[in-house]
This record gives sequence, C-alpha cells and structure tokens, in this order.
Amino acid sequence: MKKLSVRSRLSTQLSLPSTSDIAFLLLIFFLATTIFDLEQGIYMVLPGQQSQSVRVRRDNITIVKAYADGSITIDDKAIAVSQIRTIIQGRLARNDKTVVVIETHPEADYGLMVDILDELRLAEARTISLKTMLGNGVP
Amino acid sequence: MAFGQTQKATSQIPVASMADIAFLLLIFFISTTIFRMEEGLPVALPRAETAQRQERELIMHVWIDKQGHIAINDRVVAVEDIAGVVMKVLQEKPGLIVAFNADERCPYSVVSDVMEELKKANAVRVSFTSEPEAAANAAADANAE
Repeated sequence: MKKLSVRSRLSTQLSLPSTSDIAFLLLIFFLATTIFDLEQGIYMVLPGQQSQSVRVRRDNITIVKAYADGSITIDDKAIAVSQIRTIIQGRLARNDKTVVVIETHPEADYGLMVDILDELRLAEARTISLKTMLGNGVP
Repeated sequence: MAFGQTQKATSQIPVASMADIAFLLLIFFISTTIFRMEEGLPVALPRAETAQRQERELIMHVWIDKQGHIAINDRVVAVEDIAGVVMKVLQEKPGLIVAFNADERCPYSVVSDVMEELKKANAVRVSFTSEPEAAANAAADANAE
C-alpha cells in the first residue's frame, strides 16, 4: 500500500507575547548606546576684515602673556593660572572699561590659552583680545 | 451621624501598558540615536568651566592635532586653503560658527594661522571646543582606575 504524504500546516501567526521582550531588549540597547551629542565650547567673535581698529587708552589695557614654557604673566608679573580670576576681577572692579589682551607665544600650548580664556570668562571680562607674541617672547 | 469611609488604595502597577511605553521609548531612541563615526583627527580637548552649548546645525569643525595637522570636516587641508573652503560653507550657512577642536598640546601658532584665514573669509564666529570640567575629571578618574 502506498504511503500518503502528510502535509504539515504552517502557522501564519506571529507570536505576540515575545515582541514586548524584544522591544525591551532593543530599548536597553539604545539606552546604553545613545550619546546626546552636545557641542560645548567657549564662544568668541573675531574681528572681521571690515572691522575698524579701535583705540584704547593704555591704562585700560591689561596684558596677559602666555609663554612657550607654560609660564604666565600679567603686566610682566609672573602669576599662576588660578590667580588670573582674582586679579582680573579686582581690575574690573576698579575700571569696568578694562580690555584684556591675551598675548600667546607661537610655541605655547593652545591649552594654556584656553585655560587663560576660561579664567577671564569666569572673572566676567567682556572685552578680550587675542594676540600672537612677536619675537622670541622671553619674559 | 455619618462616618468617614476609608478608601483602600490599590497597590498594583498596571503592567498591561508597559509594552506600549517600551515601544514609545524605543521609537524615541531609534529616531534620536546618532552613531558617531570617528571623524577628523585624534585630539585631547582642553577643559573649561565656562564652555557653553552651541547650535549643532551651524557648526563647522576644524580639527588640529598635536603635530599641527589641520582637518576640516574629515579632510586634511593646508592652512592656505582654509579661507576658500570656509567661504564656500559660509555662503550656504551665513551664521556659521567655526569650532576649533584642537589638541591642548598643539602649538598656538597653528591656531593663530587658522584664525587669520578665518578672518580673511569673514568667518568671525568661533568656538574653542572644550570638555566640561566635571566630565573631564570623571574621564580622568576612570582612566586612573
């Protein structure tokens, strides 16, 4: 006698209870891997080509110099980065028109300039000028 | 005299809606996740307390590594070419902010040269990208462990 082939019926249903488990697994994956990309930085506006040079009185200028060896001076007096805030705050209290010039040696670390800029922002100095030191800049 | 009836608060959490919440959160994370590819040059950013959040859409990244190599949005460029590249982008985005992603150990002269080129292109809005102090300290602690 010939054997009849048995046809198995394929189920067309999706197993729904496991979808929430998959959703939770994917959720954990995305929670763990998501990075909210935030751009953070110290914002500045540079003088453009159309900008006109402004004359500032010598008494209103405070020059912060950053040297290649990592040393810093304010008006030729050696100081530490942590002292900048207090000194500038004092000068701004005496004269609110104070313009701070950061004069950086070409071989100095960029990080040093950012440290000074950060301290000036903390001291709430509004007018900051960036300058590159000419010559060898030996203090 | 009417006595106040005490109501018994139910202590069950409705679990039936949990899957819906999971799906909603899932859709949120799928749509907001950005898988960041490594771009630019490897840099160790300086730390700053006064760093502010910048608008991502307007930012153009300039990468400067420890050796002073410059890259703009994935492409290594020479200092002389920066003004031309920036001018083109500036025409499309007038409020462009150029973000300096420079290594804290890179020589300042390179940053200064780039700024001069930006002035030529009239791209005056810049941002010195830095890591917030707290995040930087946490990363340093993790490395120490």
